[in-house]
Amino acid sequence: MTNEADRQARFDELASAYGTDLYRFAMWLCGDDALAKDLVQETYLRAWKALDKLKDRGAAKSWLITILRREYARTFERKVPKFTDVDAVVVPEDSELEPDDRVEVDMLRRSILTLPPKYREPLLLQVVMGYSCAEISRELGVSKSAVMTQLFRAREQLKARLQKDGVTGNVHELF
Amino acid sequence: MSMNFSEFKRLLGADPRNRDPEFLRARASSAEFEKEAAEADRLEALLDRAVSLPVPEELMAEIRSIPQRRTGPRRRAWPLAMAAGLLIAVGAAGLIWQMNPSWGSVEDYVADHYRHDGAALLARADGEVADEVQSLLAEFDVEALPALAGIIGVIKYCPTPDGKGVHMVLNSERGLVTVIYMPDTPVTDRKAITFDDREALLVALKSGSAAIIGSPQQRISDLYALIQGSIVPIPGTT
Repeated sequence: MTNEADRQARFDELASAYGTDLYRFAMWLCGDDALAKDLVQETYLRAWKALDKLKDRGAAKSWLITILRREYARTFERKVPKFTDVDAVVVPEDSELEPDDRVEVDMLRRSILTLPPKYREPLLLQVVMGYSCAEISRELGVSKSAVMTQLFRAREQLKARLQKDGVTGNVHELF
Repeated sequence: MSMNFSEFKRLLGADPRNRDPEFLRARASSAEFEKEAAEADRLEALLDRAVSLPVPEELMAEIRSIPQRRTGPRRRAWPLAMAAGLLIAVGAAGLIWQMNPSWGSVEDYVADHYRHDGAALLARADGEVADEVQSLLAEFDVEALPALAGIIGVIKYCPTPDGKGVHMVLNSERGLVTVIYMPDTPVTDRKAITFDDREALLVALKSGSAAIIGSPQQRISDLYALIQGSIVPIPGTT
């Protein structure tokens, strides 16, 4: 395999392995489909340009996430991106779900969007990107203990909001 | 020593998929623990489904085509080239300003900050930023009560003497007024500052501090109570 073909193959591997999760992560981060797509494309463009610097393939996921988060931060510095209408972010059709489940999932999606960023981002890194608490700690540059607290509070807030908006008085009955 | 229920709940909320042997032992140690774990599992299952948004079909093809492109996605070369020179100049000036080590006092910082982009932000104060207000302030565990949140026309992060803060422009009854929120900077409450043609008033808050900046005609001291009472800690964060 030529050097260029090898590069292309490595790049395709990164696209297949992480493209979907990165888009979802970006989408939940910024709440805007067009911006999320731009962020992912810009991330992969930078990854392509710097591919030779990625020596450890096991570090590819965190490398890509770091690039994407920096890109998002740059966007944030220029102008705070506004969440689009929640209904535009939240996809109504989910044919695999029963109607009751769909209501719950829809409520949960809305609740995720209203979480403060410091709770939302670690939660997304864990749930969307499959990060451990230690990996989130390294990515966000905060202690593992702080990450655990943020994740705990994120879930507590989600439960509380589901309870507030929910169909029953006890959130536990929702689950 | 066995894990108590409170610690178990904390670990469960942080990572329901925790495979630590001690955690797993605790999980199966009593009906109370098992019930809590089962509820967490159900929330996690819902969460997994909630975050699994469909991915645009064309996205993967667009990513795979990146190596064949000569330029970046949705970028046009010549406007970028033209902008580059300006950006370098503006960026360098901004960077130098942000790294400014010469803020000997909060008063120096307030004046310097306002000279940097105060006027530019006043000119942009006609935006709809209600969605962003709480989101930005939440990073510092504070929120703006409705009386304040409803009149903010511009909001953005900004540097402060002690790290990141928030720069706001209010569409107040007194006209456009600037407020800088400094989460970690102590100030002398109600201290007045004058610089150039501006007046500023420092406000000690329940969490952090603020500077209100306007013209002498605007009598910004009348806004003291609004700012002091409307930037408050988010319940449960202190």
